[in-house]
Amino acid sequence: MKNLKYKFITIIAILTSAVSTAQISKAEIKATGLTCSMCSNAINKQLKSMPEVVNVDTDLNTNTFTVTLKTDNTLSPKIFKEKVEKAGFFIGSLIVSMKSEALNRKDYIFVNNKTEAAASDVKIQVLDKGYVPDKEYKKLLKSFKNIASYAVMNDDDFHVKMIK
Amino acid sequence: MKKIIFLLLLFIFQNNYGQELFVVTDPASNIPANTLSIRMMQSVFKEQIETGYNYHAMPEITYGLTKNLMIRSTLFVSTRSNNLITEGASFYVKYRFFSVDDINSHFRMATFARYSFNKADIHQEEIEIMGHNTGFETGLIATQLIKKVAISSSISFEKALDNKPDYAFPANQGNNATNYTLSIGKLMYPKKYTSYKQTNINFMLEFLGQTINQNGKSYLDAVPSVQFIINSQARIDFGYRQQLYNSMVRSAPNGVYLNLEYNFFNAF
Repeated sequence: MKNLKYKFITIIAILTSAVSTAQISKAEIKATGLTCSMCSNAINKQLKSMPEVVNVDTDLNTNTFTVTLKTDNTLSPKIFKEKVEKAGFFIGSLIVSMKSEALNRKDYIFVNNKTEAAASDVKIQVLDKGYVPDKEYKKLLKSFKNIASYAVMNDDDFHVKMIK
Repeated sequence: MKKIIFLLLLFIFQNNYGQELFVVTDPASNIPANTLSIRMMQSVFKEQIETGYNYHAMPEITYGLTKNLMIRSTLFVSTRSNNLITEGASFYVKYRFFSVDDINSHFRMATFARYSFNKADIHQEEIEIMGHNTGFETGLIATQLIKKVAISSSISFEKALDNKPDYAFPANQGNNATNYTLSIGKLMYPKKYTSYKQTNINFMLEFLGQTINQNGKSYLDAVPSVQFIINSQARIDFGYRQQLYNSMVRSAPNGVYLNLEYNFFNAF
């Protein structure tokens, strides 16, 4: 019985550590299809409505939103797409910062070589449909035709490129 | 006419930011999901048949149900019968069904439907379910943002019914019409954004046309307007509507608009 308890604790520890290494500390979102400050504010307010968000820094001229997140969050890139689309716009680019341990996650499929990463913090860009402009997605479809999963619409895995 | 086209082209191709928060027409883009917008539209139009002015107030509430679907309700209050009277109301729904967005452009399409009721007397051939006729309207809107200029156009079918209980739609008038609009918007200030607190000033130019389907009678109006966006949350519009062409009976085609709007993001 005691043994079982330890096993249980170990499993919980592994699970929670998996969650914490998967953490996104920062998200840099470039939104498309808008030029007005009220439109930008709609995205700003959507992002700020998340309890995990510490701060949103906006560049109104480029429609770039830098979102700083709390350390214990379990957010996936999907939430940013949902929030921007709720405001009525789309993601032009999404770059997330996370610990390099996250590179071993099964739901991140790397389209470039991830072994280059030595730093403890890495930046990765999500390249799936809905995370890049439509025109770019069509180009990427051609260049990633050897990655079978890329063309498959799946909300729960992300095709990513290492930025640094 | 040539002058108008020239001014229009000048307006379009000056390289500036496009804005689509139009004063009279609605773009294909919707209000954000879970945003509540309240607007007070007011207009004073000069009577052509009688003497004096006609004041209309239209308090309006809009809500974004989803990213693609919004609903709106409008109340019609006017001084047509000398006292300030609530004459009717309207329900509007708009669905955005197509979007292609890119870094500096977007193209969107939406379809809409509106039903209004009104108990006022029918005193013109023009069909206007926003404050005059009972009836419905349905149509398509396309909005394009190219090189930072927003252009929006719509086509719709509008049908007037009897203004119950007292005023039947006159049998000798055409009761349905085709409407068409063209709107262009441009940001004048600021040239460079620094914060959400900055007041934005937009110039708009809108063209509104109608043809009565049964007899071909038509009008075409232009509405130049200036708009102030305050704190990226509130809006003040001043517009002037001027008839350019007309072949039908209209009671008060020319006048001014004053709209006040406030948005509650993440309302619920």
